[in-house]
Amino acid sequence: MRKYLTIFKISFQQEFAYRLNFVLWRVRNVLQIFIAFFLWNTIFSDPGRVVFGYDRAKILTYIFGLIIIRAIVLSSRAIDIAGEVSRGDLTNQLLRPMGYIKYWFTRDLSSKALNLIFSVFEASILFLIFKPQFFFQTNFLLFFLFLTSLVIAVILFFFLMFIANMLPLWLPDQPWGMSFLLFIFTDFLGGGVFPLDILPSYITKIIYLTPFPYLLFMPLQIYLGKLDLITSFNSILIGTVWVIVLALGTKVVWSQGLKSYGAVGR
Amino acid sequence: MDRVVVVDHLVKHFEVNEKRPGIIGSLSTLFFPKKRTVQALKEISFSVKKGELVGFIGPNGAGKTTTLKILSGILYPSSGFVQVGGYTPWERKEDFLKQISLIMGQKNQLWWDLPAIETFELNRAIYEIPERSYKRSLDELTTLLDVEDILTVPVRRLSLGQRMRMELIAALLHKPEIIFLDEPTIGLDLVGQKVVRDFIDDYNRKNEATILLTSHNMDDVLGLAKRVIVIDEGSIIFDGKLEELTAHFAKEKEIRVFLKNGADYKKLEEIGKVKKVKHPEVVLSVPRAEVATAAARILENFQVEDLTITEESLDDIIRKVFQGKLRKP
Amino acid sequence: MKKLIKYLHLWWMMSKNSFVMVFYSKAALVIFLTGKILRFGFFVIFLIFLLKGTNSLAGYNLNQTLFFFLTYTIVDTLSQFLFREVYRFRPQIISGDFDLTLSKPISALFRSLLGGADVIDLITVPPLIYALIYVGAMLHPTLFQIFIYIILLLSGLLIATAFHIAVLSLAILSLEIDHAVMIYRDIVSLGRFPTDIYKEPLRGVLTYLVPVGLMVTLPAQFLIGLVTFQGVLVSFLVCAVFLFASVSLWKFALRYYTSASS
Repeated sequence: MRKYLTIFKISFQQEFAYRLNFVLWRVRNVLQIFIAFFLWNTIFSDPGRVVFGYDRAKILTYIFGLIIIRAIVLSSRAIDIAGEVSRGDLTNQLLRPMGYIKYWFTRDLSSKALNLIFSVFEASILFLIFKPQFFFQTNFLLFFLFLTSLVIAVILFFFLMFIANMLPLWLPDQPWGMSFLLFIFTDFLGGGVFPLDILPSYITKIIYLTPFPYLLFMPLQIYLGKLDLITSFNSILIGTVWVIVLALGTKVVWSQGLKSYGAVGR
Repeated sequence: MDRVVVVDHLVKHFEVNEKRPGIIGSLSTLFFPKKRTVQALKEISFSVKKGELVGFIGPNGAGKTTTLKILSGILYPSSGFVQVGGYTPWERKEDFLKQISLIMGQKNQLWWDLPAIETFELNRAIYEIPERSYKRSLDELTTLLDVEDILTVPVRRLSLGQRMRMELIAALLHKPEIIFLDEPTIGLDLVGQKVVRDFIDDYNRKNEATILLTSHNMDDVLGLAKRVIVIDEGSIIFDGKLEELTAHFAKEKEIRVFLKNGADYKKLEEIGKVKKVKHPEVVLSVPRAEVATAAARILENFQVEDLTITEESLDDIIRKVFQGKLRKP
Repeated sequence: MKKLIKYLHLWWMMSKNSFVMVFYSKAALVIFLTGKILRFGFFVIFLIFLLKGTNSLAGYNLNQTLFFFLTYTIVDTLSQFLFREVYRFRPQIISGDFDLTLSKPISALFRSLLGGADVIDLITVPPLIYALIYVGAMLHPTLFQIFIYIILLLSGLLIATAFHIAVLSLAILSLEIDHAVMIYRDIVSLGRFPTDIYKEPLRGVLTYLVPVGLMVTLPAQFLIGLVTFQGVLVSFLVCAVFLFASVSLWKFALRYYTSASS
């Protein structure tokens, strides 16, 4: 256990060591929120307007919530896995007395901790500048379900990233292909750009069957109280099912991939 | 005036940011950056005639690569006069660049995923080599380096030795008159090294190209350079023929002793530095001035079968140069 | 003139090399092409349903909003097509291979900016142009408006060029920043929507300082008939200023590199 704590600390320090880089990474995150904020701000410039089941307070809460949720769920160091595999550095890691998957999950958590601190800071500043109306969830049970869904989202995203980063085991020349696709799916199908319920139900029905909405959209929906208790509980259930499926998938891909890897590198 | 390279009082400083360790250190580095000046070259001067093959040797960080980069126009100096082929290198005029070639060991100009021939074609366009001249150079070089059948293999599938040969071709297609080589044999196996060395030697002879190379490899120096320039800590401490290197630096002589059975060679350590023991042979090195007395003492105190006195080998001297154990006498 | 021909010829050869490399790896072609199409498609679907529900965005209808997005996409795609090599520049600096580029009788800026045209983006251009024409036609522009629109697009592309040159310079000047080009992409992506949605002072910044507005919103606005000739002139002026500034930055960066490389 102690060695994972050490990994957590070192990963934290390393990310922070490249200060300028890290600051610019945060700037990028904020920029992405800007688009969403201004877009919805314009649409809801009439404060009484209600559309897609949102009013101004709820939609702006969604956007601001995204800053924090994205930092918690989507911050990840697992994207370095692809590079490690593609360069052949995986061999060294496999020789260490440490679970490879546990190692990367620890590094992920470390990154999330770092990004969370900064995103809270940024959200506060943006809050003071734009002074949007914020919706506070007061139902204790719903809030608890919200936290649960966050935990599921974190684990879900890790498994998705891990599997996507396993691509170079088969295609060492294209390490980031799957991560590229994963981010596109997450952004759109996960509610990272817009709340999914602006889409008609015949489309959302299909999307809710994929794991992506459970990363960003569902936790926020639970928080905003747009789902009643039963639906919230259901969504957590489906999220859990996906966690189990992807956990198994990760195990399978990992063992198959190692066989194909054969310590070939550059 | 057939001096192709002229260097006069060349000085080069680098400004380096000092990074301090630890969290407090890194914070203070962020807010109060400290700069340190490194003097890479401290007024060096030399000149090279057309067709010469000069080797720059010295310990790591001595300034060899810096010199080469300034001569090829990649770095510009802090002060001093440099002229290569009649041009000021760091102005990087097109006509200057067409005359020179820079080959750096383990750095590639070849497009990684494509066959080497594609890079050659691209270089032909870049250097504006006329068709006939290009074809002739290509045939000549590929035959000499024995790579005709791997011209169409993607570069990333070639071995390091094959890749180096392709790099050589890519660098020489435009028949440069001045060639700069930085550690050309690094990372190659013995066979690969010999191929590169023989090729450079051949090229120098046939085309009268002026060649300047830096190397940390003993065999490169012994096999190629007729003239060596020794750079240590930014200054030239020797510039002359390879053979003269010994005379200039050899401060010790070697005594080779063949002891009769039963002799205790450990006692020999009191007389001089024991360099090699292969019973019954022992090799000692002794300061020049003391060699006569040392020999006498050995003959007096030991049962000696045979004794010879020789100069310190060139190998050892060069090794000392690489390790920075020689300073201006 | 001869120089221009030489450089066109070199660009053609390097682009050919670039294309061939992609075709060698079918997986790359499929994955990235799919990703780009999906990214585009998802956003279009989003716009359609967004405007279905809200009827107008900052005063623009669905047709116009789509046209803004298509204008953004064509400028962004053409930039990626031409300047893909910029994304590969930083590893060259770190490994020192850039020295070899410098030692050749070819402009280092040319090589680093245009040396790796991306065929995957090129493939997406014809359908994009078709969509652009299809949606644009529904706005009933005059021939003159179309002509100025194309000129403004080119001006926008030149501003994008200036940005990429600045990114190259930054890669030399600061070894720490490893994704300067992605920051550029993020800023430009603010232009997916007409810049009218942004409040001052951000809108002003986006229009003149970091001229995303001039790059993508302005051409589309012109076609819709909202821009005066003054606006067009301002766009050209800003374009020229940016190009000059970025090339000066590059020259400075090169001087810095050649005094500090070790």
